Amino acid sequence: MNDNDLHDSAVLSAVRDSISRLPTPKAPQVEAIKARGRARRLRRAGGLSVVAAGACAALVVGLTGGAPAARPALQASPRSVHHATAVHLVAFTVAAGPDGTTTLTLYPGQVADPSAVRQALAEHGIPALVTAGEFCRTAVQPAPGVGDVVVLSGPGKIQIPANGHPTARPGPIVINGSKIPSGVELSIGYRQDPQENEISFTLIVANAPLTCTSIPDHGPHTGD
Amino acid sequence: MSREKTEFAEFFQASWEPCLRAVVASTGSVQLAEDQVAEAFARAWLSWRKVRSHPAPRAWVVRTALNVGSSWWRRRRRELPLLGHDAEAVSYEVDGLDAALLTALRHLPDRQREVIALRVFLDLDIDTISAQLGIAPGTVRAHLSRGVATLRHELSLTQAMEADR
Repeated sequence: MNDNDLHDSAVLSAVRDSISRLPTPKAPQVEAIKARGRARRLRRAGGLSVVAAGACAALVVGLTGGAPAARPALQASPRSVHHATAVHLVAFTVAAGPDGTTTLTLYPGQVADPSAVRQALAEHGIPALVTAGEFCRTAVQPAPGVGDVVVLSGPGKIQIPANGHPTARPGPIVINGSKIPSGVELSIGYRQDPQENEISFTLIVANAPLTCTSIPDHGPHTGD
Repeated sequence: MSREKTEFAEFFQASWEPCLRAVVASTGSVQLAEDQVAEAFARAWLSWRKVRSHPAPRAWVVRTALNVGSSWWRRRRRELPLLGHDAEAVSYEVDGLDAALLTALRHLPDRQREVIALRVFLDLDIDTISAQLGIAPGTVRAHLSRGVATLRHELSLTQAMEADR
């Protein structure tokens, strides 16, 4: 066959057919897309201190005091694929979310027991290293990026009134445990100070040596 | 706001697959394309009032996804230079004619591949592609012509080899 036997349209049709035969994932829920957009807007507005969002960096949420704000609803789907029941403790909540995800909510002004948070997440199939007052990471940040696993939602600022008792809660942090590969854990570090709380997420290699610091290691990047 | 939500939801449902396939054609990786397209739609939602009045909203999404991909790769290359993710990025799991054609597509220069993706999957005409990419219509035609010529050659070779079997 001569090259000229193939018209441009035939070539382009062949390309279309080849790509169309590739299996592709279904579209995610539009609400998940909107939540991703909201998280991005919050990051860019400075409400969330995400230093290197997206593919492969620590995700750091700054939770600071300020004026009262609306309290977001915390949803737990009764039809979730998770069999673990929602855990409601004083300082944090772990609950089954939509589409097999898990939501974690840390409340300001109270200190969540790291081992309790870790246990609650483990019941939802999420391997996690949880630390309070320090932020741990391994020398190598495994794929995928933490932005693929953790999605922020709700307001970026946690409101803490002068009496120290919060009247508003942060939006739930959605964790997609199915996106965490074998041999990888989610490192969650938080500091729940009265006026300025901070949460950091990063992916780490399980059983690898840890470097822990009192402030999140934001890495060399300054975001996208 | 509710109308905007509905419009965006309809746009998203109708556009996810063609946009994803266009980005797959450009990037060579379904997994990467999925994340890039999701990010692009998230940005489209943030700028929906602008995107909804864009002359080619799907092209906006695809261009944004490809730009996200460029940033992602720049960061990834800096952060994990030893893990060989460049090699993992190409993840076609096909064989025969499809594999040959997709490999040839992957090896086209970026611009040629992008023009073909916009033409094939978003069905954009030359002028719209020109506007989207910020290049002259004649340049778009040249990229398309060269890209198609390369693919045609590969397609002919593969078909001839299969005919000889």
